[in-house]
Amino acid sequence: MEVSVSHEKNEIIVRFSGRMDTPGAQEIAPQMNALTEEAGKTVILDCTDLTYISSSGLRIFLTFHKASLEKGGKVIIRNICNEIRNVFMMTGFLNLFEIQ
Amino acid sequence: MKKLLSPYSEAILNEYLEQLPLFKTMEAQLKTTIRDCLSDAGIHVAGLESRVKTESSLAGKLELKGYKYKSLADITDILGIRVITFYRDDVDVVASAIERLFEVDWENSVDKRKLHDLDSFGYLSLHYVCRIPDMPFRVEIQMRSLLQHAWANLYHDTGYKSGLEIPKEYIRNMNRLAGMLELADEQFSHIRTELTDYRRRVQTLVSTGNLDDVLLDGDTFKGYLELDPFGQLNRRIAAINQAEIHEVSLMPYLAIFKNMGCKTLGDIARIIKDYFEGAYQIACFQMGLTDLDIMASSVGPQNICIAYTLKNGGGKAGIRNLFDILNGPSESNVMMAEFILGQAKDLPFMNQ
Repeated sequence: MEVSVSHEKNEIIVRFSGRMDTPGAQEIAPQMNALTEEAGKTVILDCTDLTYISSSGLRIFLTFHKASLEKGGKVIIRNICNEIRNVFMMTGFLNLFEIQ
Repeated sequence: MKKLLSPYSEAILNEYLEQLPLFKTMEAQLKTTIRDCLSDAGIHVAGLESRVKTESSLAGKLELKGYKYKSLADITDILGIRVITFYRDDVDVVASAIERLFEVDWENSVDKRKLHDLDSFGYLSLHYVCRIPDMPFRVEIQMRSLLQHAWANLYHDTGYKSGLEIPKEYIRNMNRLAGMLELADEQFSHIRTELTDYRRRVQTLVSTGNLDDVLLDGDTFKGYLELDPFGQLNRRIAAINQAEIHEVSLMPYLAIFKNMGCKTLGDIARIIKDYFEGAYQIACFQMGLTDLDIMASSVGPQNICIAYTLKNGGGKAGIRNLFDILNGPSESNVMMAEFILGQAKDLPFMNQ
């Protein structure tokens, strides 16, 4: 599981690559926790290369969403595949996020 | 141009310049104290303003009425604070809070709302002169409603303080507007009281279970959600994978239930009862095949609405419409509708 962060104009783009299962989520948790410092900005979670998400991955997204709400920021999930979209739908989290 | 002042007035003006930093400090402190006090009392106000009288304004006052004052402490409005309430009824509520907070100098305080004759309209505001602990100077606290504030500001803009005489017809028009705004202020307060009564009546109907008597709207739906009508279903679904339930707002489902033709809370209660099993079967099929152990509290109402739509012949278009309302129109909603339709067609509730 890899995550890369880039600052573009007024947005922060976080690109995920690989499987966000329990080990993957543990791997990226420190980076995502550090990123909550900037959760007051518009953060785009780019899931183009994300192939799988588990409960641990959902928790990473939810923690970041909560930090963003507290800091007045905005989280946009971009380019999720149908399988991951269905996971968001089945767990009821779909309309919690802005998904593009 | 520097005004010619008496020696007494000059002395007052010099004392003012010496004490200006103290007034500035007190201004910030008092605003914080008042803001915190109103917030603790649950009083929402439209605005909290303050100002320290400027040197030129004080000089003007001394030029006109300098004979009235022996020292700076005699002038009660060097520091002024204004609380603007949304409703006129709240002016007295704010006044009570201020009375508890500071010692009011009643001799110099004035309720300008009571100064008008029965047939006159105009400036309405409550002015308190207050003594502040450890502060040698008194402060003036004005309290008025948003509409009273609007009228006073616009009247001030006509330049009545400039000393120039304003033609009577303009004054008459301003006073006519004052009468109209007074009536509007009263109506806003009246509407608020009526709404509070309505909400109280609805709460009673909901808590006593008379759901068929409660029309469905934003207020009533919010009150209904406090009874946790989807709680039992959510807990049963969560038990499939021992999932943790993440509470989210269910208010977006108001539009869905309205779209499903619900007119009262009783209609929703019946749908929950009738489609409980179908909603659970959908969750079993979806979650049972995964190890997902986290879910939002919206899974219950989402699956209820899906089960209702499928059983009532809504098909793919109906499910898509449901997601369009919830998430905004999107092509991906079609894909999700197909996914659900594929899963649900063989579920027992569909064939009962």
